[in-house]
Amino acid sequence: MITFVKKIKSDGSACRKCADVEARLQTAGLMSRIDHIAIADERAPDSEGMRLAAELGVDSAPFFIVTTGGSRTVYTSYVKMLNEVLKAKATEEEEAKEILERNNDLDFL
Amino acid sequence: MGMTPAEIAALTTEYAAREPQDLIKLALERFEKIAISFSGAEDVVLIDMATRIRPDLMVFSLDTGRLHSETYRFLEKVRERYHLKLEGLAPDALAVERLVRDKGLFSFYKDGHNECCGIRKVAPLRRKLATLDAWITGQRKDQSPSTRSNVPVIQEDAAFSTPERRIVKFNPLANWSSAQVWQYIRANDVPYNALHERGFISIGCEPCTRPVLPNQHERVGRWWWEEATIKECGLHVPATKADR
Repeated sequence: MITFVKKIKSDGSACRKCADVEARLQTAGLMSRIDHIAIADERAPDSEGMRLAAELGVDSAPFFIVTTGGSRTVYTSYVKMLNEVLKAKATEEEEAKEILERNNDLDFL
Repeated sequence: MGMTPAEIAALTTEYAAREPQDLIKLALERFEKIAISFSGAEDVVLIDMATRIRPDLMVFSLDTGRLHSETYRFLEKVRERYHLKLEGLAPDALAVERLVRDKGLFSFYKDGHNECCGIRKVAPLRRKLATLDAWITGQRKDQSPSTRSNVPVIQEDAAFSTPERRIVKFNPLANWSSAQVWQYIRANDVPYNALHERGFISIGCEPCTRPVLPNQHERVGRWWWEEATIKECGLHVPATKADR
């Protein structure tokens, strides 16, 4: 089972990166492979996504939880989840964008 | 000949207080497949230092297609002055065409710079680094208190290494200040980008770089419209009464 956790910001607007990831899943025709969407609403600490983030020690959104049998694996990398779980190949643009997002010291480039 | 993680850690400690020239010498002695990444700004000092050690040095620049004309002229000046085969790394033409067709020429002002930088900088850099064992950058701790304060002089490149291939990144200027860099430029008559005379400190693509005012941090001159949203991805739990 794959759970996609996406965020609603404290001002009520959607998290841009979460929306971007969701759009990419839609475009690639992979949204149907997501079994459940959990909302992490910053205005509601007890919302499902916020509870999951706290429970799993995740401090950024979006992220994915893959449950197989009794074990849960957390993916904070969309590209890694795509490759390892959905067995789909990320585009070079997706990979490059994620490298930049995950390595903020690369802003020197 | 590569470097093991243990060697990198030991050398990082050993060279932490050494001069940039010592680090460049070490890098060029240890690696054959190594290049300097040159942004067209103050990091020109690396080329000046390194060509004294290895004149046939490999140097590349990320030619995003959006650089200032002053920067292109400066790249040429450096190529001639140091007799370099300066390689301009171009982005994938189809990826740029797709981006511009779908989102326009200035999508970064609305969507953030990561997508455009990913296509125009990161992807070409990644292709280049796949052919190298090490690279040398002009990263300095004082360039950005939020993202560079921990830059070591040597590191395993976490962004571009793969399980099959370890890439080592040398940051010889990590502990130098901007003042030290400019002292070197003046003392050694090193050429510099004309934009520096117009208030630019950090220099990137033309639409994403602006001059800064006296005493403003150089980081203010890059992607200034994004500061408010930079931490958008974090999950912030509001403080409850019990937390306060």
